[in-house]
Amino acid sequence: MAVPVIMPRQGQSVESCIIGEWHVAKGDKVSAGDKLFTYETDKATFDEEAPSDGEIIAVFFEEGDDVPCLLNVLVIGEAGESWEEYIPEGATADGAGASAAATEEEAASAPEATAKAAAAPVSTAVATTPSVAGEHPVSPRAKGLAAKHNVDLRMAAATGPKGRIIERDVEAAIDAGFVATTAAGQDYAAGIAGSGIGGAVRVEDLAKVPELQSLEGAALIDQAVLSLDEAEYTDDKITNIRKVIARSMHASLSEMAQLTLNASFDASNILNWRNRLKALKEKGMDEKLGLAILQRVPTINDIILYAVSRTVKKYPDCNAHYLAEENVFRHFNRVHLGVAVDTPRGLMVPVVRNADLKSITQISAEARDLAVQCNEGSINPDKLSGSTITITNMGRSGVESFTPVINPPETCIVGVSSTYEKVRSGKDGGLELYTAMTISLTIDHRAIDGAPGSLFLQALIQTLENFDLFLMGS
Amino acid sequence: MTKSLPIIPEEARAPRMIELQDIPVNQYQKTVKDEKDNFTKEEFMNIYRDMRLIREFEDMLMSIKTTNAYKGMEYNNPGPAHLSIGQEAAAVGQAFYLDKNDYIFGSHRSHGEVLAKAFSAIRKLDDAELMEIMESFMDGKQLKAIESIRDSEGSVQELAVDYILYGILAEIFAKETGFNQGLGGSMHSYFTPLGIYPNNAIVGGSADISVGAALYKKVNRQPGIVIGNFGDGSMGCGPVWEALAMATMDQYETLWEGDMKGGLPLIFNVNNNHYGMGGQTKGETMGYGNPSRIGAACNPRQMHAETVDGNNPLAVIDAYKRKMKNIEDKEGPIFLELVTYRFSGHSPSDADSYRTEEEKDAWKAHDPIVTYPAQLIEAGVATQAEIDEIDKYVVDKITQTVKLAIDPVISPRMDLQAEPRAIEDLMFSNQKVASFSDAEADMLQTREELKDNVRVKQIARRERYAYDENGKLLSPNRRYQFRDGIFEAVIEKFYEDPTLIAYGEDLRDWGGAYAAYRGLTEAVPYHRFFNSPISEAAIVGSAIGYAMAGGRALVELMYCDFLGRAGDEVFNQLPKWQAMSGGYLKMPVVIRVSVGSKYGAQHSQDWTSLVAHIPGIKVVFPATPYDVKGLLTSALNGTDPVIVFESQRLYDVGEQFVKEGVPAEPFEITIGEPVMRRTGSDVTFLTIGATLYRALEAADKLQEEYGISAEVIDARTLVPFNYDMVLESVKKTGKIIVAGDATARGSYLNDLAQNIQNLAFDYLDAPVQILGSRNWITPAYELEDDFFPQADWFIDLYHERIAPIAGYTPVNNFTDGEILRRNKLGV
Repeated sequence: MAVPVIMPRQGQSVESCIIGEWHVAKGDKVSAGDKLFTYETDKATFDEEAPSDGEIIAVFFEEGDDVPCLLNVLVIGEAGESWEEYIPEGATADGAGASAAATEEEAASAPEATAKAAAAPVSTAVATTPSVAGEHPVSPRAKGLAAKHNVDLRMAAATGPKGRIIERDVEAAIDAGFVATTAAGQDYAAGIAGSGIGGAVRVEDLAKVPELQSLEGAALIDQAVLSLDEAEYTDDKITNIRKVIARSMHASLSEMAQLTLNASFDASNILNWRNRLKALKEKGMDEKLGLAILQRVPTINDIILYAVSRTVKKYPDCNAHYLAEENVFRHFNRVHLGVAVDTPRGLMVPVVRNADLKSITQISAEARDLAVQCNEGSINPDKLSGSTITITNMGRSGVESFTPVINPPETCIVGVSSTYEKVRSGKDGGLELYTAMTISLTIDHRAIDGAPGSLFLQALIQTLENFDLFLMGS
Repeated sequence: MTKSLPIIPEEARAPRMIELQDIPVNQYQKTVKDEKDNFTKEEFMNIYRDMRLIREFEDMLMSIKTTNAYKGMEYNNPGPAHLSIGQEAAAVGQAFYLDKNDYIFGSHRSHGEVLAKAFSAIRKLDDAELMEIMESFMDGKQLKAIESIRDSEGSVQELAVDYILYGILAEIFAKETGFNQGLGGSMHSYFTPLGIYPNNAIVGGSADISVGAALYKKVNRQPGIVIGNFGDGSMGCGPVWEALAMATMDQYETLWEGDMKGGLPLIFNVNNNHYGMGGQTKGETMGYGNPSRIGAACNPRQMHAETVDGNNPLAVIDAYKRKMKNIEDKEGPIFLELVTYRFSGHSPSDADSYRTEEEKDAWKAHDPIVTYPAQLIEAGVATQAEIDEIDKYVVDKITQTVKLAIDPVISPRMDLQAEPRAIEDLMFSNQKVASFSDAEADMLQTREELKDNVRVKQIARRERYAYDENGKLLSPNRRYQFRDGIFEAVIEKFYEDPTLIAYGEDLRDWGGAYAAYRGLTEAVPYHRFFNSPISEAAIVGSAIGYAMAGGRALVELMYCDFLGRAGDEVFNQLPKWQAMSGGYLKMPVVIRVSVGSKYGAQHSQDWTSLVAHIPGIKVVFPATPYDVKGLLTSALNGTDPVIVFESQRLYDVGEQFVKEGVPAEPFEITIGEPVMRRTGSDVTFLTIGATLYRALEAADKLQEEYGISAEVIDARTLVPFNYDMVLESVKKTGKIIVAGDATARGSYLNDLAQNIQNLAFDYLDAPVQILGSRNWITPAYELEDDFFPQADWFIDLYHERIAPIAGYTPVNNFTDGEILRRNKLGV
């Protein structure tokens, strides 16, 4: 009966052995105990002896072959006996030697061959809503990178462990443009969100801070009233952002010659016009008439935006940037309206670009979209820069007039207050009540003198008081 | 070959009796009168003078310790002083025949042995030799300090006595002018130029060290004998028993050949003062009655064990004369017990509460300082006046020595404010010494014949780079392996340095547990390469003694887990002696330690952190054939103790990084420099040992599946460690995982992490992470993947604590809560 002889396993860690020398060949007769072959491990050389008498009827390996342990090396039996069933895996059947390669469990390509194309990249998200400065811990590396590039960390997503802002978040913020210019960066404490208007932090944004403070302050008061604390008061440390705002506000006001002109106007025309549209819409006339303007009735603010976009064209000094340091007074060909939006995170100023070319419906829709995006924090930072004149509306706060602060380097800002009842002498000699609104126009007296400034204000008021006619004419 | 020593069953199973010879106890009972013809008057008087000088020296220390003054000179010595008052006869008797070529090692209570040996050696040197020693040792620093008392008319011998007294006392007082710059102190004061080797503050610490020194004498054919001094209390210490085992191996007789055949030139000298601190060895803490009983049990020659009256200097001299003859006849080692008694406590703070005044008074009648001069007078050798003259002489000598040693100008302390690096500079000698001897190396095969060595032939068939031309990994038998790198570094050094000896368990015929040494048996004779008893303490301790004596030793601990068995030797002896000698001793000892796997809790531990913690040892952990050859070569060329850790996972790995392959020629890798294994940009992995390969696996996976590029650095060395490369990497990536197989808690990984965090904090994008094994027992091989850091652990840790990977779900728990929970439970 045929008996296969295996490569013995000399120890747990030995996986294969090299055949050193053959003492027998196919066809030889052997007796039990005869040396068959020598084999070698790392530790020593061994002789394998014949387990029984017989003839070598098959040999599967040659000298020098590296044979995995426990594989059949040869077969002892009687001449003519079948041995094919003992052919080890990987060996050829001719009995005259075989492929010697040890099974290569660890077969692997050389290191240089392993590089493959990068698969799924890591997250490159930015914040979906701007965070409050200090809300997320920041890694030292991210902090350093942010300082270097003047990144608004509030716009960085915190994708690190436990809500930590890490390097990739800052990189993503840089890629998304939440970066202050160098000039802005000087006023921008390292690692602290600066003006925090929500978009790219620019010199203009820093100067806008006072404005932010006044609006934000109002919101804070409301909040405080709503959630009266038991304690009489709380002493909080002045945050760095507040210090920055304070510094910037002071600088802004001290460096510009800001002058505010207030003028009230009869808001009846715009209110009536608006009420008419609303009434038509309620009657379902929007569909019947197919008028886009009835899909969403413009707000008072939309009306003022529209009025500014058209009126300011005639007063190019008011649709301009005063760049004193560069010795440039830049007059814009188009009107890009900055629209102040109050959000829970703070004041943001998205821009309705080329407003002078857009219809009131378009301006209305766009301003609304931008406001929603600001509230959601999904606003594209590109839409937060490039305004040529800004409109800020405090109408909802019941303010009758106020002193808006210019968004540098713009030359003016239009402040809108709430409507209120006012008395004037009627045609019949008596007194008559009418609904009034105040426009507060702050101008940079360096760029615009009081008289031309008041002309723009006058023109704006006339536009608004005769809005239906103005619409027809434009 | 032990194959030539068959174990014959009929013999092993035959009925017979082991015969023990009688152990002589106090058989010598002579006095001066009886020995009058055998000693000159000068010799008799010198014995008294030496004993009396030692007594005065110790009395002086006792006075300073207890009253802060000696002879009106005030001094406070806060350091230790374990005095041998009462044991002077044993010390002086032992030293009588010894010269500078005989080496003594001592204990915490060895002032007497040191002084006696010095006085004896001085007598045997001529003036020129003495001056040469005094003028050259530390550039004559001690000689300059005693300049003011130098009598230009006086003898050089007397000057040398002053020199020794001063050097030892200044050392005890921690002065920079002490023989070891004040870094040794009372328990480690010694002076190797006169053959006085380190005393040892660890009980029994000198036993295995003295075995190594004796090995050095024998293997390098050096003149002189070695004496290991220790007390009766040390007979309870395991390393002492191991030293006895290693000193009495049969192979010295049966397998060592030619002039190497025969026993070690070594005397284990037990000063039996009957107390191991407060424990009374006879009757209480031991059961031997007399320590000589233990010596007698060690080998058929019974180590010529004998108990001798150690309070009679003549009895001790007689015993040494006979024992040194035994050694000359190659019948060493010897076990000698000297019966004596210390009147002083263990230390000056010892209140002697464990013995009675009656007992002490009874021994006072046997005080050698009293009985010996009485015998001198009785025998007519000396007059009372001559005795008085010696008494005056010794008081004068000690007084002038104290005056110099306490003088802050003549004998300043090391000023670590002015020279903050003074001790730092002594921690490592950092020298390169290719060979410690000009002798021809004893080898069985010439370099020419080595070509036919079975191992050399095997290696010749292997490819020195692990991949073939198609980038396919070669099978283990086709590639040059890690173990081959070890072999090449070691065989080269055997030819280059005749003093190199290598030993450990199962090295010779077996080839070491992982066959690294296969082939050495054919090339290196027994006396340079041998199997030791399973005595890890003695393996390391003897290597220390061998190196102290002047040779280079390479020893192996088969498993890292056995380091504990050599704990004192690795932690207290090996790292200390270079600095404690004030830079005088070198410690060219390399210990190869195999880090296990597969074999469970007591055979799979990475204890690199334990040794890295101890100042004074260099610690390397190569992970590639190239590195092990280069680092081992550096270690073997150096003069510092180096522990080379080797992972058992890696003995068969090929060289996967150096494309040119492992050079056949010797080459060095600077110890302390990590190596870049793969460059990357997103995260750094710094690995220790075999963890490298799992880190690379993780790096592959991160790159292929997540597009994250990991840089992988192999530490290679733990101590010293140059952080430059790692810091550069972290500055680039901002993130790092430091990984190794040691259990994480308290591991060296934390040390690396701490330093990286300190040095690169502002560049970090996440806290430095460490990845070690769980704080458990190492489970069975089949469960190891849950214990040792695996590739996916890297990714899990990265995801959880460094930078979450979108869509990735970790398997292992690295959350805050889990960290807190585990620590709370201590697991």
